[in-house]
Amino acid sequence: MPDTLLEVEDLSVEFRTDEGTVQAVNGVSFGLRAGETLGLVGESGSGKSVTSLAIMGLVAPPAGRITRGQIFYRLQDLLLLPRADMQRIRGRRIAMVFQDPLTSLNPFLTVGEQLTEMTRIHLRLGAEQARTHAIEMLERVGIPGPERRIDQYPHEFSGGMRQRVMIAMALSCQPEVLIADEPTTALDVTIQAQMLELFQELQRELGMAILLITHDLGVVAQVCHRVAVMYGGRIVETASADALFARPQHPYTLGLLDSIPRWDGRTSQMLKAIEGQPPNMADPPTGCTFHPRCPYKLERCQRDMPPLEPRLPVDESTPADGQKACFVEVSRTRAAEVNHG
Amino acid sequence: MVEPVTGRGHAGEPTSLLEVRQLKVHFPFRKGSWFWGGTGWIRAVDGVSFTVAAGETLGLVGESGCGKTTTARALVGLTRPTSGEVWLEGDRLDQLSESAMRPYRRKIQMIFQDPFASLNPRMTVGAIIAEPLAIMGIGTKRDRQLEAVRVMDLVGLNPRFLNRYPHEFSGGQRQRVGIARALILNPKLVVCDEPVSALDVSIQAQVIQLLMELQQKLGVAYLFIAHDLAVVRHIAHRVGVMYLGRIVELGSTHDIFSSPQHPYTQALLSAAPLPDPAIQRGRKRIVLRGEVPRPDQEYPGCPFADRCPIVESSCREQVPQLAGAARQVSCLKVSQDSLSGE
Repeated sequence: MPDTLLEVEDLSVEFRTDEGTVQAVNGVSFGLRAGETLGLVGESGSGKSVTSLAIMGLVAPPAGRITRGQIFYRLQDLLLLPRADMQRIRGRRIAMVFQDPLTSLNPFLTVGEQLTEMTRIHLRLGAEQARTHAIEMLERVGIPGPERRIDQYPHEFSGGMRQRVMIAMALSCQPEVLIADEPTTALDVTIQAQMLELFQELQRELGMAILLITHDLGVVAQVCHRVAVMYGGRIVETASADALFARPQHPYTLGLLDSIPRWDGRTSQMLKAIEGQPPNMADPPTGCTFHPRCPYKLERCQRDMPPLEPRLPVDESTPADGQKACFVEVSRTRAAEVNHG
Repeated sequence: MVEPVTGRGHAGEPTSLLEVRQLKVHFPFRKGSWFWGGTGWIRAVDGVSFTVAAGETLGLVGESGCGKTTTARALVGLTRPTSGEVWLEGDRLDQLSESAMRPYRRKIQMIFQDPFASLNPRMTVGAIIAEPLAIMGIGTKRDRQLEAVRVMDLVGLNPRFLNRYPHEFSGGQRQRVGIARALILNPKLVVCDEPVSALDVSIQAQVIQLLMELQQKLGVAYLFIAHDLAVVRHIAHRVGVMYLGRIVELGSTHDIFSSPQHPYTQALLSAAPLPDPAIQRGRKRIVLRGEVPRPDQEYPGCPFADRCPIVESSCREQVPQLAGAARQVSCLKVSQDSLSGE
């Protein structure tokens, strides 16, 4: 695919911990095209954040190790790049927004100093130019009075404003790929709505590709074109957002959608919780990692890990779309079921 | 146990278990600048009134800083109210001393947000759950242990884990420990402060279902504080929407969610995403400008005026009061006639 900007192939990452070796990411593959938003969805420990850190070259040895796989950015394998070359891509071509804006900004430097650092290094702007650019960026992300705000320190900004600064920083070199790890989780819903709107606007304008890491299926439904659901370090189902929500085909995706209440009242009176606990990745279950919690499990699910296979089409009029890793056919159309709620 | 002072007095309708009237909690802070100093007040809760009936769930929603957690803390006596009244079953609680408050603590218990920070890591789960009984001096050690086993069973924890420590439990199980501890005194009201927001989605549903089942079984009332509107819609019978220390809209869950009247409630709902791409695309969204102002100044008019999409000049002069009967709205632009029609 010529317009694929980022291609992750069979990525595996492990960490050494007190409890033993944890296989945090296990054979994950996906592609990301220009102008597209891919949602990487999963609960804590599913491996979604580690995947993003691996792409940014931030899995730190000796504790963390990429044991297998390739990460292509425009046909160059980031994992084989010399450090200096990686530094030219990180921040410039691929930028990241972290979840917590309070801990990811340096409290001793003004917002302006942190914003201009990137453009001075990557775009080789002079001090004056960089400052003008930074003011423009702050204005762009909706910070009022940017000429004054640029000389203030992070503590003088509210949580929502800090997250805007982080986004301004990530976007200041106009990256082609933006990786956003739970960018709105720490924010209130009205501020979250502003931020998501901003992402979509900037994407339309700049054609940026976005990898959005989140646990919030509502946010996914709002901004993602495609979704990959992760469980126990693996992608268990992936499809276009429409197809995935309309006809989930992995028991975990199904369980996740059945376990979240909706504020519009289209929830059945009983929430169907997924029984049991997420797997301990230092001692993962045999076979399919979801089998201990799966209501549909077969005997072979305890032995064999199901491979990713093509999903069924949502209905007769649409072509099949996406993949799922499950031996059982649990597919059903959700639309018919929620309406009586 | 001391018998509570009897007599309903003027404590409102006898059907309400809890009645809160014009509750205010203001925190002092030092206003220091190079030319002027003095004491300012953060108006965390600024005149909140509501009731909770026996066996019902009242949800309080709002964004960070709206005062919902401070309201909860004032009710259980963790923060002293600046003014206002708190009545429980006809007895006034807000002016009681620590020791006079003690018998009432049996009736109001609290569940906290963070199941990792709210349990003592050096106590066994059995001791944590039985601690309220020990503090009240109820029963022998053996009785208390039996009680702990009973409530562990009630909340779906295996009583075999009595002698284990909190770190051996997952987040969802720890929250069950918190619930067991809150229920061991058979309270009439449990104040739940964001009880599921620290949990993973698949575990959230387990805890929400448990809380609802326990209410059916025990008839306990909940004051349920959360920022997640979907969770509140699911569990609450009535909902109060807070903004900047006040309740701006109060009504039945169905009314609030299907026909929000206050412009802030409308904006809040329109900003909350739905897990459904088809619906999500077609929705009209009201994106509010700016952020919640700091609660350290008194507003001459409506506190929402600066962000309100339908603001008029009169809104900046007159403070709207919560008005209406079953459905209450504090907005000058929402006429009471439109509410009575519901």
